[in-house]
Amino acid sequence: MKRGSSDRKKKRVGYFCSYVPEELIIAAGLEPVRLRGEVAEVKEADAFLFSSICPSLKFILDSGLRSKFDVEGIVFAHSCDGMRRLYDLWSQYVGTPFTCMLEIPKNRDENGIRYFSEQLRDLKSRLEDFSAVTISSEKLGEAIARNNSHRQMFMEIFEKQRGVPAPLRGSDLLALCLEEATPREETTARVKGFIEKSKNSNTSRDRPRILITGNIGANTTLAQLAEDAGASVVAIDTCYGMKHYTGLVESDRDPFDGLARRYLLKPACARMPGFKTRIERLEELIKEYSIDGIIYGIIKFCDYGLFEAPEIRGSLGKPLLILENDYIWSDEGRIKTRVEAFVEMIESESS
Amino acid sequence: MENTFKQAAAFLEKRLEERPRGYDLFAKEMSATILRAFDENTRTAYVSGYAFPTELLWALKVVPFDFEIACNNLPAATSGNGSSIMLHSENEGYSRDICSFDRLIIGCMLQGMLPKGDLYITSSYYCHGKAKANEIVAASEGKESVLFDVPNEISPSSMQYVTAQLKDIAARLEAITGERLDPERLREAIRWSNRARAILLEINTLMKHKPCPWDGARACLLALGGAIFWGSPILHEINQMLLQEMQDRINSGKLFPESHRILWIPWVPVQTTNIFTTLRENRASVVMAEVADVWWSEIDENNPFEGLALKALENLHVGRAEKRVKAIVKLAEEYDVDGVIHFATPACYHENGSLRIISDALKERNIPLLNLEGDMTDERNYSPEQTLNKLNTFLEIIGS
Repeated sequence: MKRGSSDRKKKRVGYFCSYVPEELIIAAGLEPVRLRGEVAEVKEADAFLFSSICPSLKFILDSGLRSKFDVEGIVFAHSCDGMRRLYDLWSQYVGTPFTCMLEIPKNRDENGIRYFSEQLRDLKSRLEDFSAVTISSEKLGEAIARNNSHRQMFMEIFEKQRGVPAPLRGSDLLALCLEEATPREETTARVKGFIEKSKNSNTSRDRPRILITGNIGANTTLAQLAEDAGASVVAIDTCYGMKHYTGLVESDRDPFDGLARRYLLKPACARMPGFKTRIERLEELIKEYSIDGIIYGIIKFCDYGLFEAPEIRGSLGKPLLILENDYIWSDEGRIKTRVEAFVEMIESESS
Repeated sequence: MENTFKQAAAFLEKRLEERPRGYDLFAKEMSATILRAFDENTRTAYVSGYAFPTELLWALKVVPFDFEIACNNLPAATSGNGSSIMLHSENEGYSRDICSFDRLIIGCMLQGMLPKGDLYITSSYYCHGKAKANEIVAASEGKESVLFDVPNEISPSSMQYVTAQLKDIAARLEAITGERLDPERLREAIRWSNRARAILLEINTLMKHKPCPWDGARACLLALGGAIFWGSPILHEINQMLLQEMQDRINSGKLFPESHRILWIPWVPVQTTNIFTTLRENRASVVMAEVADVWWSEIDENNPFEGLALKALENLHVGRAEKRVKAIVKLAEEYDVDGVIHFATPACYHENGSLRIISDALKERNIPLLNLEGDMTDERNYSPEQTLNKLNTFLEIIGS
């Protein structure tokens, strides 16, 4: 594992899943880093994982085995059965100095919130042990306020995309999300710059307005392909997109209760029970963002997406394109053809 | 489905009259219980028997219906023609990358083969796909699905979380049945469960005998399919019969000759394969199955909800891979096996994801492991030729 460079002031703690509360990592004096696969192809992970498993796990494990992550710790989240086993493999074969598994309850009722808040208290203790920093109420309060402000800035940008025409290219916006998932010192200026850009933008009108949804979407390939095909990607409802930023931690609550509520009750990913809730969320976005078509990206072998996609099909009243991908979207040619045909179909329907 | 199990129950009833056998009693009771789920006068709860404390259902006289077990015991599934049903779900857009069990269930649902449930419960473990399938089946009947969410760690807070869910499910069942849960009936169900568990421990001890007096593959099927009977006196009766049969076989010396002893992990295929005939031909006995082990503590009848919550949290497939590794190594050593066979069905992520860790742990102890890739029930993903080659090579290695 590549160690942190000596000029770094803070130890870095990575995480993969949007359900991991960065606030606790920040309050422990650590730098949170949203990690994704950092290799162009899988070389070593195939020896540890079987062929028919989510490629994101393979790319992540491969990155770990080949020391591509510049972090001293990782907080895993029990987001799916595969991620659970990734944690087991990581603990045994990669050996980052600090790792822990955060249980994410699937029941989003008061019982689930109570359990999750206890999980967060436990995570706090572990982070304190690792960082040798006590997470005081003040520090946690500051981290919560900082992240709330960060989310508000992003939501301001997303909301501007409701305009017709949308002021920004969705691929640019997703690139910003991928780079600035976590508030850092230089982040605020960059995000504010984006807000300014959105005020002066001059994107063309009359393009089909696309909502990208589904799981992961850890790069901008799909959004770029849609835009290259003549569409305008106005909303990205993935765990790297709007789902990561929607909802604030209520400051008048006990911080652990507040964090548990914000993270569990934010727009759900497909791991959570309730197809109906997911469909309602998409219906809202379709209305708010004047969507003409939806592209649902599923990472190969992801059960959650594979079960959800047929449930969504036919429920939204708008054209839907379901695209499986291998995490790095390596079969770009095939996907390009399908995206172009989809955009063309929407254009011909609206003309 | 109803007719199939009606015929099966009648056939087994007759056979039991002629020759009482524990495994036949299990098969007959399973068919009869599935049939009861179709009876409009009963209250039925969909449930994953092997991942839910069914003691609660028996205490409330609610019929447990395990859709995975029922669908996979249909003749089409067991005879290698499961895809004829799965195609119905695939045609509706459910990918072939989804577990064949779940495609089979959704196929059965689309064909109107499933009984109507009063409550659709499923568990978060064994596995996330099944929970989604349950949600789809419940929605098809306009019903809400209930997820019994069991975290991967045992702590006071996880105990509280799981206990509260069981109490909530009990309240829902009370509303459905119109009857209050009688604490004495719950204690009684737990007593039956503990008694059956005690006999299972004896059965598992006898399985260590050389040659092995029973079939570990059947023990696996009983552990999974018979799990709906925890809390019912019938499981106690089944286990008692099996124990007696095993003791009789040992006493009479009428045992199959045994050249190799095999530990089976985790599941045995439901569809007919050439695996077990090949093993028999080579005098290789499956002496134990991982899922037939007793991994849970005796349930505290005086703290029933907490006791049942602990049983769920202690489940073999809840928690880290190391927990399974420890159990598998212990079984391999205690049962003095010559090798371990792992049957991998696609889309079983939590299980297949542990394989490397299990494999390395066994390698350290010089215990050979064979990974057989196939499919529990989709014949399109099963190659008899490849399986035979791998199996023969493995048997040669452990015999050398």
